[in-house]
Amino acid sequence: MSVRVTEQGLIELSGPCGADDAEVLQRCLLTAQGSTVEWSECEQIHAAVLQVLLAAKPAVTGSPKNAFLRAHVAPLLEKGSSGVADR
Amino acid sequence: MDELLEQFVIETRELVDQAYEGLLGLEQEPDSQAFFDDTFRAFHTLKGGAGIVGFGAMETLMHRAESVLAEARTASTPLSRTEIADCFVCLDQVEAWLDAIETTGALPPEGGPAALESRFERAAESSREAAAESPSNHWLEALVAAHPDAAGRARTAIRYRPDSDCFFAGSDPLADIGAVPGLLALVVEPVTAWPELDELDPYVCNIVLSGLSAAAEREVQAALGEALAQCDLIALDSERSSGPSVSLGATAKRLLDAQAELLRDPADRRPGVIASAGLAAANILRALGRQADAERLSEAATQCLGEGNPDRLRKAIESAATTLDREPGAHKTSSSRREASIQTLRIDAARIDHLLRVAGELVVAKNALGHVVRLAENDAPALAPLLKQRHATLERLVDELQDSVAGARMLPLRSTFRRFPKLIRELSADLMKPTRLVIEGEDTEADRTIAEIIVEPLLHALRNAMVHGIEEASERAAAGKPARATILLTAARQGDHVVLEVRDDGAGVDVEAVREAALDRGLLTAQDADELSDDDVIDLIFTPGFSTASKVTDLSGRGVGMDAVRSAVRRLGGQISVRSVAGQGMTVRFALPFSVMTTRVMTVEAGGQSFGIPLDGVVETLRLPADQARPIGAARAVVVRDRTLPLVDLAGLLGEPPSALTADSMTVVVVTAAGEHSALRIDRVGEPLDIVLKPLEGMLAATPGLAGAAVLGDGGVLLVLDLEDLLT
Repeated sequence: MSVRVTEQGLIELSGPCGADDAEVLQRCLLTAQGSTVEWSECEQIHAAVLQVLLAAKPAVTGSPKNAFLRAHVAPLLEKGSSGVADR
Repeated sequence: MDELLEQFVIETRELVDQAYEGLLGLEQEPDSQAFFDDTFRAFHTLKGGAGIVGFGAMETLMHRAESVLAEARTASTPLSRTEIADCFVCLDQVEAWLDAIETTGALPPEGGPAALESRFERAAESSREAAAESPSNHWLEALVAAHPDAAGRARTAIRYRPDSDCFFAGSDPLADIGAVPGLLALVVEPVTAWPELDELDPYVCNIVLSGLSAAAEREVQAALGEALAQCDLIALDSERSSGPSVSLGATAKRLLDAQAELLRDPADRRPGVIASAGLAAANILRALGRQADAERLSEAATQCLGEGNPDRLRKAIESAATTLDREPGAHKTSSSRREASIQTLRIDAARIDHLLRVAGELVVAKNALGHVVRLAENDAPALAPLLKQRHATLERLVDELQDSVAGARMLPLRSTFRRFPKLIRELSADLMKPTRLVIEGEDTEADRTIAEIIVEPLLHALRNAMVHGIEEASERAAAGKPARATILLTAARQGDHVVLEVRDDGAGVDVEAVREAALDRGLLTAQDADELSDDDVIDLIFTPGFSTASKVTDLSGRGVGMDAVRSAVRRLGGQISVRSVAGQGMTVRFALPFSVMTTRVMTVEAGGQSFGIPLDGVVETLRLPADQARPIGAARAVVVRDRTLPLVDLAGLLGEPPSALTADSMTVVVVTAAGEHSALRIDRVGEPLDIVLKPLEGMLAATPGLAGAAVLGDGGVLLVLDLEDLLT
């Protein structure tokens, strides 16, 4: 499972998150409003998943190992950024 | 299907090809008037044709495409990438319609492709908007303002606006942008403001991605692949922005420098890095027409991999790069333009096949004459020299005719390869393995039969490479390989053969896994498993039903049918082999005969062996009671449909012990040869087969009664009979 809710109520993204995972993530975020997304183990996300994250703007914790995600996608998800990344 | 519609289908396919060629040309050379005219003419004629057969939906769609082209012409602006992509989509739609017409025999029911038309509407709107604003670059200003450091180092700016339905086509815009080399900054903005989460449809693409890259525009273009159709690129390098064409030498030098840079750290000996740098550098030199240098670099790369030290390769690349400086632009342009339109004639394929057959028989007759000429040397020595001379002339002409007619069946392999880029793009997205397909040698020609039949085996090989060969992104990163995998599809003529190769830069065949799986399935004994060389083990993947896939995906099912691929290739008279280097990738090589003719034969068994009888010599097959065979003098005859036919035992005729007349009934094939009917007694009738008939060569050529032989799917050989020779 690439999207999984842990016992502590964190929404964990791990491995490659494909297009199908977008809907799963969306439901998780709607069911548990205010949850934090943990993505240290995440390797890749599909653009559809990114859309969900941009629209929901959840709190995000952890730093993914994948260089592209870390350097370019993480800044887009920071609280307070309006979709324009700061580097 | 009525004749008018048949004609429409044939002509439309040709026009679609022409439009395709024109659009591809425009992609490479947007300012080319020739390509533009070709494209416009094709769409215009497509529209006309649709009107004649009353195909309203197609007529409307072609009209839209034609309008877009017309507007570009009046505005004197080149077509945008989006417009070109939309035209391609129209052509795909037309082809889908043609396939449907061929299946159903009639025009598709009304109800046009609203989505496609709306695409053009949207394009028209956005171009009107763009015209209303100042030349579109205010996104660039905002980007640069937000990322001043990145902007200082950036050479290319990108604005990528994917279509809202691109996810359904298997696209992942984030992966596309991720594949851009030297990305310095990325901005993702919504097209329309994000709605509340519960109202969001994540599968409608609502983002625009902008970025800055340190790489040159050409590199970014190459990395974006098909996504380029929805991108605007701006080169930021002030030194280069003037001329439209960057000198090939300068780009090549930068690319070579980049490869050398990759190898700079002597502590980094990852084979993936060495291999990919070596491959890229060799390809760069090849593109410049420097084959010898490219070969030397490849060898240096192989040596480095053996030694585990990148130094030699780095030095070789650096020296190649410096010689580029000295050369004053003596480079080949890689794109070869088609010169003036080729004169063509449309001919029914059956006529060409008939011509080929007659040409083949001429060859046989010429050979028979040669035999007589040799006899004349003894029996008519006065005439012999003149005969010889005339025969030599005849021989030359007949051979020339044979070659020329065989050439008429040739097709460039471009048509075979046409749908592969789309397939790879879809698989890339489905499997989350970014991959690009590079095709070389698509102008290579092959017999039309080969070109058609080899599509399936190539599809298998490509799917195999994607599913089994290319690793997951994390594995590739760990091995130091580029994130985007590459599959190279090449075609070349080598003497009598056409050689096709599918080469991936994945992990290669997992020899141990194959060995174990073979052991598990009882295909090998433990002893064999130890003794077999790695190459022999790799060959096992061609065994029917073999599969080591841990994930059975929809795409390839169990195993990949490599055994089916091998059968198909063999039936064409070709060979298939696999080379694999662990960690670097796998190459599937198809060697196919250059020209090919298929014959239908009926297989029969006689005297315990199988033979093929050309089907056009077979009248019927019957079972008759054994006592129907009547003696006539020393021979025997049977009466079939009120005709008395000589009864010949095939086994006996071929020198085998005759079939015993033990059973109550016998199986007989009535054949015709040289105008006469005969009844051949055989043991059993087999199935009809389409085979590639190859003439026997060398010592076997003189064997009487045989027309040739064919290789069967299982590798066995079928001897095909020459009835005329046998029975008269």
